Amino acid sequence: MLTDPVVPIDLAPIWITLKVAALTVVILLILSMPLAWWLAYTRSRYKVVIESVTALPLVLPPTVLGFYLLLLLGPNGPLGQGWIALTGSPLAFSFSGLIVASCIYSLPFVVQPLQAAFESMDKRSVEAAWTLGASHIKTFLLVIIPQIRRGLLTAIVLGFAHTLGEFGVVLMVGGNIPGETQVVSIAIYELVEVLNYEAAHILSAGLLVFSFVVLFLVYGINRRWHSGSYA
Amino acid sequence: MSDIYIQAKLQRQGFTLDIDLSVPARGVTAILGPSGSGKTTLLRLLAGLEKPQQGVISHSGKTWVDSETHTFISPQKRKVGVVFQDYALFEHMTVENNIGFGLPADQRSQAVPIWLDKLKIRELAQRYPHQLSGGQRQRVALARALITEPELLLLDEPFSAMDSHLKKNLREQLLEVVAQLQQPVVLVTHDLNEARYLADTIAVMINGSIHRIDKCSNVFKEPETLEVARVTGWHNFLPITVIQAHKVSSAWGDVELSYEPSIDTDWLAIRPEHIRINTQQANIEANVIRVTELDGIREMVCQLKDGTCLYLQVTWNELLPVPGSHIKLELPEQHIKPLQETVNALAHTSSIKQELKGGGRISKEQSCALVDRGKSIA
Repeated sequence: MLTDPVVPIDLAPIWITLKVAALTVVILLILSMPLAWWLAYTRSRYKVVIESVTALPLVLPPTVLGFYLLLLLGPNGPLGQGWIALTGSPLAFSFSGLIVASCIYSLPFVVQPLQAAFESMDKRSVEAAWTLGASHIKTFLLVIIPQIRRGLLTAIVLGFAHTLGEFGVVLMVGGNIPGETQVVSIAIYELVEVLNYEAAHILSAGLLVFSFVVLFLVYGINRRWHSGSYA
Repeated sequence: MSDIYIQAKLQRQGFTLDIDLSVPARGVTAILGPSGSGKTTLLRLLAGLEKPQQGVISHSGKTWVDSETHTFISPQKRKVGVVFQDYALFEHMTVENNIGFGLPADQRSQAVPIWLDKLKIRELAQRYPHQLSGGQRQRVALARALITEPELLLLDEPFSAMDSHLKKNLREQLLEVVAQLQQPVVLVTHDLNEARYLADTIAVMINGSIHRIDKCSNVFKEPETLEVARVTGWHNFLPITVIQAHKVSSAWGDVELSYEPSIDTDWLAIRPEHIRINTQQANIEANVIRVTELDGIREMVCQLKDGTCLYLQVTWNELLPVPGSHIKLELPEQHIKPLQETVNALAHTSSIKQELKGGGRISKEQSCALVDRGKSIA
């Protein structure tokens, strides 16, 4: 039986979800750029190890990842203890903890497209820029970014979309604190639990349409970049 | 005086580069060598894109690299123009923006049109690299490298990406540009004709080290060692096992010489077009293996008694022997080049040679040393 349709929908989970996804993508881009560059060009024998660790979230059940993250971020975990010493508040079951967990969970979705983009980039054009006197920053902005733009866009979208849809890790590390760590996916689960299908529908359909529109735009842009010239 | 000096060691994945080279201050120096000999790595060392594990690189008295003092000048600060293999143009920028990339924004509007005109590519200014032909791309890469007024220009296999019929025309064009330059040019190539056509000086690079550096004509005419001869396009090599006063010989036969051959002689080389067939002086027996006519050139492959194969180029008015026939060959003395095995052999025998000059006689030990190398002195 459907619940009363006039029950207002709590919009806080949507806001929290968007905030988590956006922050995660920004942090991941900053961290992943040097990591992906290193993975693309290193000759180090440790490359395989780092590559495997980076890809772990792809294959691990979210609950396994969430469980270990909980131990790591919890008040007795090394990261949790450090965080408490630094800020005075615990990392587990907090918004900050949610961000840390999301970053680890979505890491491969940002690193891998960037790594592939760096690998397929013309490395000599970067060296050409250096021999023409360009600084590393100028080279990055004017030579590297335009060449990896498709990979960059894919990384942003996949990172954002994957964070948007995360459930297991969020539940384990963030809990389900309304207004603090309750994201859309958990809110939907809870609404279904209390048989509020209408509200669950609205949130689910919203997420579905949003995801479709974003992917549609990305594939559209990518296709244009791929087939068209730079002109 | 040498303007660029490089003495560097670099070891990587089983490959060792050990360079000691002085590049003349003017003109074009070609680094000629087979693929995998380390030519491009040498160019990258000069550009600052590779760092030697040990060594010194200097230019006009300025030290770019010194492993002892941990000096390393970055590529940005070396003022070296590089034209990369396949040109490495910025595909997302117009020709105009490619060329102006190395200049401060306020100088571009003035300098870029000048270089567009100099290289006759004014009409291409608004195009993107993917809309250009191979030759046009090369001109854009040259303009981009030269606009910053580099003190040294490096060219990495500038014609490797082109069809052979295009190369000839583009070589002319490149020579036209390079001839006007004041700064030294280092060209890396595996193509003999490219080196011959463009370079004033040739450095032959084999297995990571420079085996010979000399004027272009000297290197081609007097290769001195077997390895250099191979790289500079010599094909026919006859092993020498016996050296006499005016004669060198081996199982294939012998050649009379008007001069006394050096005891360092390990091989004789002769170009295909200089071998004569069935003349009165012909004394080397051979069997004809194959006769071909390609692009107006008649070529013949012969096998000597010891199994050595010789390539001959035959003129049109000469009667061509058929495959399987038995002929006699003349190797005219003036076209024969005596060669040593390697540079090391040169060092190895030079001390013996010195002693011979002093004493005039060869000792038993010295003689054994030569026999050990498979050679006897009669």
